[in-house]
Amino acid sequence: MKKSIAACTGMLIVMGSACGAELAYTVRPTEMKAKPFTDAATLAKLAGNSKVDVLMRQSSWLQVKADANTGWVKMLSLRFDQMGNAPKAGAGNSNLGTLFNIVQTGSGGSGASTGVKGLKIEEGLRNPRPNPDALRQMEELDVNDAEVKAFAKAGKLSPSTMAYVPAPGAN
Amino acid sequence: MKTTLTLIALALVCSGCKTVAPMLNDAVRNMSVSDVQNAAAKAQKISEGQREFTQPEEVALGSGIASNMLGAANLWSDKKAQRYVNQVGLVLVAHSERTDLNWHFAVLDDMEFNAFAAPGGYIFITRGLLQSLRSEAELAGVLAHEIAHVVRKHHLTAIKKASNRELLGEAVNAGTAMAVRNNKYSGALTPALAKLASVGTEMYARGLDKDDEFEADRMAVVLTARAGYDPYGLPAVLQSLQTVDPNYAGLALMFKTHPTFQARLDLLARVMTSDFDKFEKNQTLEGRFKSQVAAPKAGK
Repeated sequence: MKKSIAACTGMLIVMGSACGAELAYTVRPTEMKAKPFTDAATLAKLAGNSKVDVLMRQSSWLQVKADANTGWVKMLSLRFDQMGNAPKAGAGNSNLGTLFNIVQTGSGGSGASTGVKGLKIEEGLRNPRPNPDALRQMEELDVNDAEVKAFAKAGKLSPSTMAYVPAPGAN
Repeated sequence: MKTTLTLIALALVCSGCKTVAPMLNDAVRNMSVSDVQNAAAKAQKISEGQREFTQPEEVALGSGIASNMLGAANLWSDKKAQRYVNQVGLVLVAHSERTDLNWHFAVLDDMEFNAFAAPGGYIFITRGLLQSLRSEAELAGVLAHEIAHVVRKHHLTAIKKASNRELLGEAVNAGTAMAVRNNKYSGALTPALAKLASVGTEMYARGLDKDDEFEADRMAVVLTARAGYDPYGLPAVLQSLQTVDPNYAGLALMFKTHPTFQARLDLLARVMTSDFDKFEKNQTLEGRFKSQVAAPKAGK
């Protein structure tokens, strides 16, 4: 397991791709491809509910290990495990594990019963109290059109047109 | 007298409701001039409450909800991250149907995983969720989901449905008056509008209709694709959140107010067909994300 995470982090730099958690299951019978393309060679056919180790993501594809094979499956064919996969400190390469630990242990690590430290939004929604000063601060952060254009350009974001997709079953 | 007023109000609102008319004669005979005026004013408010919100009214109400949101959690003090989230948000907004709104984005200093949208273009993401993300495309996916709620006026419609018509009528009138007075909508709201904002804010603890959430997901993947981002950012976030212990307190509000992650992913799987293949080379921008959003520090 350690090895796969290390490999994942290394590849992340090369491929510029995000990496999911470790364990996942297929939600339906799924073809494992040699490369992250629909027309790539099929390495194996995974049955529904097959357990796989996730190595990395590249757009809609996840690189996974299942039995002796390593290949690519569509990310939305997988369901991630919950309880058995709760983040551990330093696990994977997202910050989920660290955050989880911060909140579970509290900021000072001062012991028990600080499980909900830093979580007060719901209480504030049930008993609303305005904060006009903070609102003004939020509204005053001015990012103009020119800055937005420059920001998109620096990120090499090339726009395209696409209509919204209808709900499944809708005409 | 209360019954009488209601009857009159009812009669004035739906003129031509024949069953009410005979009773009305008796009722009117017992009324003073001021009673009639009050009833007429109430009926006026009720009928006002049935019309659509104007854009200035929507913004005024949204600013009230945003103000309450900022009463629930502080702004994160990291100015660089605040600016960055606005930049990403505004890139997406440019590809939406409501570029005429004055959009504002903010990071809330709270460790739970969540994001919120208030009418009129006020968008929030918690520091907990922001710092758990891995790329700008993931951030774009989350913000696009919230932008979609505003584009489709999901909260506005829900607030209308949940509020009584008299309060609505009073509040939206006040909203109009205020919008005429100043171009900035923040600051002191009229009592009726503040009350409506309060009702609206409490709704965020209960959540929207599930179909509104699914629609926002479907729109989000298209909005991100339009802007040039990898459209799989949002599903990637949902899959990451699936790995968190569901008993974790920082997910409690999310679970109360949203369909399960798997239900949302299943619906995205059905709509993200081969049409999305052409966006495989779109940007994810991990590097820029990491340079702009500080990683969480253990013990802080």
